[in-house]
Amino acid sequence: MAKDVKPTRKNLMEIEDRIELSERGHGTLEKKRDGLIMEFMDILDKAQDVRGDLADDYEDAQKKINMARAMEGDVAVRGAAAALQEHPEITTESKNIMGVVVPQIESSRVSKGLDERGYGIMGTSARIDEAAEAYEDLLESIILAAEVETAMKKMLREIETTKRRVNALEFKLLPELYDGQEYIEQALEEQEREETFRLKKIKEKKEAEEKAEKEAEAAEAEAAEADQDDREDSQPDTAAQSPTANE
Amino acid sequence: MSQEIAVVGSPEFTTGFRLAGVRRFENVPDDDKSTELDDAVTNVLDDEGVGIVVMHDDDLEYLSRNVRQTVETSVEPVVVTIGSGTGGGGLRDQIKRAIGIDLMDEDEQ
Repeated sequence: MAKDVKPTRKNLMEIEDRIELSERGHGTLEKKRDGLIMEFMDILDKAQDVRGDLADDYEDAQKKINMARAMEGDVAVRGAAAALQEHPEITTESKNIMGVVVPQIESSRVSKGLDERGYGIMGTSARIDEAAEAYEDLLESIILAAEVETAMKKMLREIETTKRRVNALEFKLLPELYDGQEYIEQALEEQEREETFRLKKIKEKKEAEEKAEKEAEAAEAEAAEADQDDREDSQPDTAAQSPTANE
Repeated sequence: MSQEIAVVGSPEFTTGFRLAGVRRFENVPDDDKSTELDDAVTNVLDDEGVGIVVMHDDDLEYLSRNVRQTVETSVEPVVVTIGSGTGGGGLRDQIKRAIGIDLMDEDEQ
C-alpha cells in the first residue's frame, strides 16, 4: 500500500488525519470490548446460577413424571397432557447493554391452579398434579435461561465483532498507514536533499561562471593595460627621434 | 407480540412439557431421530410464533452440522437445551472464541 500513494505533502497530511482517527477509533473500540467483556462476566455468573437451577428443576420434574407414569400409567399421563387448555405465552421486551439489544422475556400463564389445567380433578391423581407443577416450575427456569442465554449469545457476537475490528485496526490498517506515512516522509526528505544538492550545484556552477567571467574580465583588462603600456612605450621613442632629426 | 414455547424430542421428553401446557411440540421417536430430527427442528425454528425451543442435550448429536450450528447460534427463537446440566457446548466454544479463555471451564474448577 505504501508504494501506491504519491509522496506529496497533501497525501501525508491526509494519512496523518487518518492515523489520528484510526488511533482514536482503536482506543474507543478497545474500551467498548473491555466493557462488553465485563458486562458479559456478570451475565455469565447469572447464567451459571440459572443453569444450576434448571438442572435441579429438570431432575425433579423427571422424577415426578416417572413416578406419575409408574403409578398411573403412561396413557393416563398422556391423556392428561392432551387435555390442557391454558397455554403458556411469552412476550419479549428489549434492554440495551452497551449498544447490544438483549431481550427481557415476560411469561404469562405458566403456573396454573389445579382447576385451570383442563383435566378433571376426579379422574387424575395427585402424582400427575405434582408432575405438572414440577414442569411448570421447569418452564419458568427455562424462560429465565432463555433470557440469559440470548443475552450471552448476543453479547458474544458483539464482543467477537468488536474484537475483529480492534484487530483489523491494530494489525492491518494502522501498520499500513504508518508505512505510508514513513514512505512519504522519506520520499519528501529525499526530495528535499536532492533539492538542496541541486541548489548547491547551481550555486557552485554560478560561482564558477562568475569567477571565470571575472578572470576573463581581469585578463582582458590586463591585456588592454599591457596594450596601452606598449603603445605608451612606443610613442616616446618616436618623440625622441624627431628632435634629433630636426636638429 | 406474544410467542409460544416449543418442545422437540422423544414423546417421553415432550409429554411432561405438554402437561405444563406447551402445545407446540414435535414428537420424534428415538429410532427416527437420525432421519427426522433435522426437519422437526427446522420446522420449529422457522415458526415465527415460537420464541423458545426446548431440546434435550443428547438430541443435538442427531442433528446435521448445519442445523446444529443454527441451533447453537440462534437468537430468535432461542434454543434451550437441558439434560446434561452444562449448557450448550456451542456456547462454550463461542465463549472460547470471543474471549480467548474457557470461562466455563474456569468456573467449573
